Amino acid sequence: MNKPLRIALTKGRLEKDTVGLFEKLGYDCTSVHEKGRKLILPVPDGNLEVVLAKANDVITYVEHGVCDLGVVGKDTIMEMNGKFFELIDLGFGKCKFALAAKKGCDFYSGFGVKTIATKYPNVARTFFESKGMDVEIVKIEGSVELAPLLELSDGIVDIVETGTTLKENGLEVVEDICSISARFIVNTVSLKMRHEEIEELVKRIKECL
Amino acid sequence: MKNYDLITPEGTKDLLFDESFIRREIENSIHKIFRSRGYCEFITPGLEFYDVFNHNTSYFPQENLYKLSDSKGRLIVIRPDSTIPIARAVATRLKDATLPLRIYYNQQVYRTEPALKGRSDEILQTGIELIGSQSKTADLEVISTAASALKACGSEFSLEIGNIAIFKELVSRLDVSDSKKELIRQLIETKNFPALNDLLDAIGTSSVTTALKKLPALFGGEEVFEKAKKVMPDKKISRILDELSDIYSNISQICGYDCNITVDLGLVNKTNYYTGLVIKGYLAGHGDEVLSGGRYDKLISEFGYDIPAIGFAVNVDAAAKVNAKNTENLHPRCADAIVFGTPGRETQALIVAERMRNDGEIVENALFDDINAVREYAKEKKISKIIIVGEEDGSTEAVR
Repeated sequence: MNKPLRIALTKGRLEKDTVGLFEKLGYDCTSVHEKGRKLILPVPDGNLEVVLAKANDVITYVEHGVCDLGVVGKDTIMEMNGKFFELIDLGFGKCKFALAAKKGCDFYSGFGVKTIATKYPNVARTFFESKGMDVEIVKIEGSVELAPLLELSDGIVDIVETGTTLKENGLEVVEDICSISARFIVNTVSLKMRHEEIEELVKRIKECL
Repeated sequence: MKNYDLITPEGTKDLLFDESFIRREIENSIHKIFRSRGYCEFITPGLEFYDVFNHNTSYFPQENLYKLSDSKGRLIVIRPDSTIPIARAVATRLKDATLPLRIYYNQQVYRTEPALKGRSDEILQTGIELIGSQSKTADLEVISTAASALKACGSEFSLEIGNIAIFKELVSRLDVSDSKKELIRQLIETKNFPALNDLLDAIGTSSVTTALKKLPALFGGEEVFEKAKKVMPDKKISRILDELSDIYSNISQICGYDCNITVDLGLVNKTNYYTGLVIKGYLAGHGDEVLSGGRYDKLISEFGYDIPAIGFAVNVDAAAKVNAKNTENLHPRCADAIVFGTPGRETQALIVAERMRNDGEIVENALFDDINAVREYAKEKKISKIIIVGEEDGSTEAVR
């Protein structure tokens, strides 16, 4: 048997959804359930090796080819960019990018340059560039909703799932930017050098979705 | 102020002994291949005017170039690529030369890469340009040379061909804006099927959109041509496909079927630069392509000399890195012997050493006063023979 295909999963919810998908395909994922503190886990009957990583790192590992495959959110892909194939929209991990501001305020009014707080500066910059709008972007690491409340920014660009957090903090969506879901990504060289194995896996995943 | 006098800039590194030896070995074996096909070396300056690279900014976006200004305040770049400077030189200095020109180069290129991504800003590239012929034989020559160059890298490899003209023809038949066309290109390049399908469905259903949807999936072996044939909307595009299919079967004959040659009709990178055939090469153990090239029939005309050309470049640093991982016993040859002259006989020892070198041995001069220090040094450096030049000229002792 060849050396296993290595797949990097985004730790947390996407990991659980992907493992669920693998189990539907009939792979034995016991090692992933009983991982303890291990970060590289074999899935023997699928000839796969699961690597658990943070979202940004999934892209880094796949880009460098040390992992052949990856499962990562479109949000991370949009923010990080990078060179890889984005083969399948897995359909889970659904949410959206949106521009939000304090409830009732008219975000687009006035001539002043707006300040935007976000964890996703590249996504925010691309969005406002497409509108031909000059904005000042401030990168925030934690709860972005705080920034407009503390009057650091006029609005935020962030992931919105149900909108409950926005509502509870007196914010509302001004405009949807795009929808997001989990993607199955593949290193550009792996797809060519291990074409048959990857194609087989992709076929099975697509059938299962 | 912080002093940066003990480290190298980000994206650069020193290559010591084994690393530089392995890289040089690869360079040498690839150059042997180039020279045996009649290619001659070309060296272009490390510094070029920014204008040389500014004809078409989509080739090299200005944010990826190292820039400085010369003593007259003119904008200079540190060479980010070798093909464009060669195109410049051919269009000016070689306008009257007999065609075709066979040129090879071996030089560093410099591009700024995002910080902390583990990529190099300085890459040694070696490659060829075959200038002045549009013939199929020229294509076959360059592809088979690429296959040989990859083989010389000494690891499992795969060579891939495609033709960007198929995409260009298809997309030219769509009545959409240029930015939409660029988006379609990006989605095909990243094999992003879901987004590509959505975008093309929104444009409408026609034989052209059906073909474009299929394009990124059309990669693999010979069977690809059969599948592709079914979706090509008209004769003009089918003809490009037939030419590629022809080249594919010829190249398999030339290189032997054990040469892993594949095809990908979804290779659509740098569409402004390449005009037809495109080539990519991969090595097992490296996450990005190590060889990249294609036909660029319009590039040299940007410098005022309208001739076709085809070429490719190998990322020698990447090949060396893969090689270093795979081969454990590839080391620079250490000295065969060390010559020690007893006090008063130092000059004589140097003469003895020189004589041995003329016979083809690698010989070091001992720089110690004491024979025991020489023995220790020889043991440490794995030098198997010590020649002692003393009373009785040239006694030899083996090092254990």
